[in-house]
Amino acid sequence: MAELHIIGQIIGATGFPQNSLFCKWGVHTGGAWRLLSGLKEGQTQVDMPQTGDMAYWSHPIDLHYTTKGLQGWPKLHLQVWHQDSFGRCQLYGYGYIHIPSSPGQHRLQCVTWRPLGSWQDQLAEMFVGGGPQLRSPDLIYSGADRYRLHTVGMGTVELELCVILRHFDRYGVES
Amino acid sequence: DPISTPKPTHLPPLDPLSTPKPTHLHPLDPLSTPTLPISTPKPTHLHHLDPISTPKPTHLHPLDQISTPTFLAERMANVRHRRQERRPVESVVPKSRLITWEPSEEFIKNSHIINTPVQTMHIMGDLGPSGKLGLKENEYILCTIKADGNGVITIKPDFNNNRGAYRLETQGEKREVWRLYLENASSDIHAEEKEREQRMYRDLYTRHKDYLNSLVGQDFEMVRIIILIQTHFSAQGYEYDNLYVHFFLDLPNNWSSVPFHGLSGVTQTCRTSSVGKDVAFFSYPFSFETFFHKEDESDGSLPQWPVLYFKVLSLDFWQRYRTEGYGFLVIPSTPGYHRMTCRTWRPLQSGTVAELRRFFIGGAPELEDISYVRVPGTFKGKRLSRFGFRTQTTGSVTFTLNCIQHARAFIDASTLKKRRQTVLDQLGGHSQQGSVYNVLEAFQRARNRMQEARETLPRDLINTSAQLNSESSA
Repeated sequence: MAELHIIGQIIGATGFPQNSLFCKWGVHTGGAWRLLSGLKEGQTQVDMPQTGDMAYWSHPIDLHYTTKGLQGWPKLHLQVWHQDSFGRCQLYGYGYIHIPSSPGQHRLQCVTWRPLGSWQDQLAEMFVGGGPQLRSPDLIYSGADRYRLHTVGMGTVELELCVILRHFDRYGVES
Repeated sequence: DPISTPKPTHLPPLDPLSTPKPTHLHPLDPLSTPTLPISTPKPTHLHHLDPISTPKPTHLHPLDQISTPTFLAERMANVRHRRQERRPVESVVPKSRLITWEPSEEFIKNSHIINTPVQTMHIMGDLGPSGKLGLKENEYILCTIKADGNGVITIKPDFNNNRGAYRLETQGEKREVWRLYLENASSDIHAEEKEREQRMYRDLYTRHKDYLNSLVGQDFEMVRIIILIQTHFSAQGYEYDNLYVHFFLDLPNNWSSVPFHGLSGVTQTCRTSSVGKDVAFFSYPFSFETFFHKEDESDGSLPQWPVLYFKVLSLDFWQRYRTEGYGFLVIPSTPGYHRMTCRTWRPLQSGTVAELRRFFIGGAPELEDISYVRVPGTFKGKRLSRFGFRTQTTGSVTFTLNCIQHARAFIDASTLKKRRQTVLDQLGGHSQQGSVYNVLEAFQRARNRMQEARETLPRDLINTSAQLNSESSA
C-alpha cells in the first residue's frame, strides 16, 4: 500500500463581500483510502482583518492517508461563512479542490461559489441575510444533477499544501 | 550559621496534597554543603491519590497549628486528574457538546489558567536559635522545586553557580541575615544509561513505524496504465452571464474506461461576479480514469492521448439558451499539476438574422459533431481545411489538472536511479535510448540480486566493512 502525507495550512480568504469570515473544511476520499492520523475536518476561527482585504486563518492541515488504489483521490471541500457583528452566520461559498497528486509544495487557490435562489430570495437576502444552502454538501461529489444549480461566484480561498508520496513508485505510479 | 542542610529525600515525593513537613530538618551542620538531589517526578503515581480531596489536618505534624488549609494545599486540590491510557492514534474532535453553555465557577477558574499538573516540593529551613527548634515562625522556605508532567523541573531560586549568595532575613526580634547557597550536586547520567535511553527511544520509534506499516499493508491494485485526471475550472470573458460548461472526454482507439464512471459532465450554472473581474467560478472536481491497452508493440506510432472537449453555454433568467464557445484540451502526457487556459470560439452565421435571433430569443447554431473543434472524427485525408467556417472569438476557460499515470512497466523503470523513462520512451521501445536503458535495467536487476544473495549469508562469513553493508541496504 502506498501512503500520502498532506501537510499544510489554509492560509486565508480574499475577494468576499465582507471580511469577517471563517471556514469549515473537510477532506473526502474514496473507499480505498484510510486515514492513519490527523484530523480530516475542522473549522477555523473567525478572522476580522483590520487592514487589507484578506482574512487570515493559517489553519493547519496534517493528514496521513494510506491507500490501496488510485480511485477516490482526496478532495478538500470548504465552506466559507461570514459572521457579522450580531453573531449571525451566513454562508458565503462552497469550494472544492483536489489535493494535488504530484509531490512538493503547492500554493492553491480554491474558488468558491454560492447557490442563488429566486429573485424574491435574493431580495430578502439583501435585507435580512441568509440564503439557500446545499442540503448535503456531499451531493456535489455524485455530480449528476449539478447543472440544475444556479450559483454565483464568490471569493477565493488560498491554501498551501505540501504533498509527500510514499511507495507510489514501487507500484508503478508516476506523479 | 547560614548554611542549612535540609534532607528533602525524606519527604514523600508522591504526596502533593499534604503540606510539606518541616520536621525532617536537622540541626544546621556548618561544614557540609547543601545537597539537593533532584528527584524525578513520577506522575503516574498521582492516580492512586484522590486529587480533589481537601487536605486532612490530621496528617499534619502536631507542631503545625493549622486549622484552615494553606494556600499550597488549596492550589494542589485543584490539580486535574490525568489519564493513564494513551490517546488513540486518530484523535477525534467531539462534534457535539463543544460549548459549555453554563460554566460553573470552578470550571471558569480552571479554564482561565493553563493548569498543567505540577508537583511541588519545598525545602524549608528551621532558622530558629538552637535551643528553640521546631517553631513554625522560624521556618522559612529555602527553595521550591516544581516538576510537571512534561518533564520540566523548575527550581526557584536557581543554583548559585558561583554568583553571590542569596540573602535570607529572618523576622522576629533578632533579625538575622543568612546566606544561602544552592548547588547542583547530582551526578551526570552514565554513558551506559544514556545508551540505554537512546536504544529505548529507537525501539519506540521502530515499533511505532512497524505499527504504522502494519496498518498500511501491502496490496495495491495493479493495472495496465491508467490516467487519473482531476479538473476544476473557471471561465471568464464571456458575453452573457449564467454560464455552464458541458464537457466530455474523447478517448482514442486504444483507450478504454470503466463503464460506470461517466466521462462527461455538466457543471452548475454560475453567474459571473463583478468582484472577480467577470469570472465565473465552477470549482467542479471531476476525475477521469482511463486505461490504455498496448496491443500492437510494433505499431511504431506514438499513442494518442485523450482529448477533453467542452462547450460553454449560457442560460439566463428567461430560459434563453445560447452557445458561448467551443474548445478542446489535450490531456498532458506528463504527470503532475497543470494549469491551462483554453480560448474558445463560437460559430457565426452570415447575415444579421442569426445574430438578432440569438440576442432576442436565444438559440444559436451548434456544432453537430463536437470533435470538429479539433480534428473531426470522420476526417481521413491529409489536409484539413476549414475554409468558409466563420467563428468569433469568445472568452477563455482555465483548467487545473492533476494527472497521475500508473503502469506496471514503471515499476522496473523506477529502479533506475538516474533518469526515469517517460511513457513515450517506454512505449517506443525501439529507439537507441530505449535499448541503452534496457541494458542498464538488466544490470541493475543483476546487481540487486547479487546484493540480496550477499545479505542472506551470515555476517561473519562476509569480510566486508560497514561501508559496504550500508551501501547494500540503500
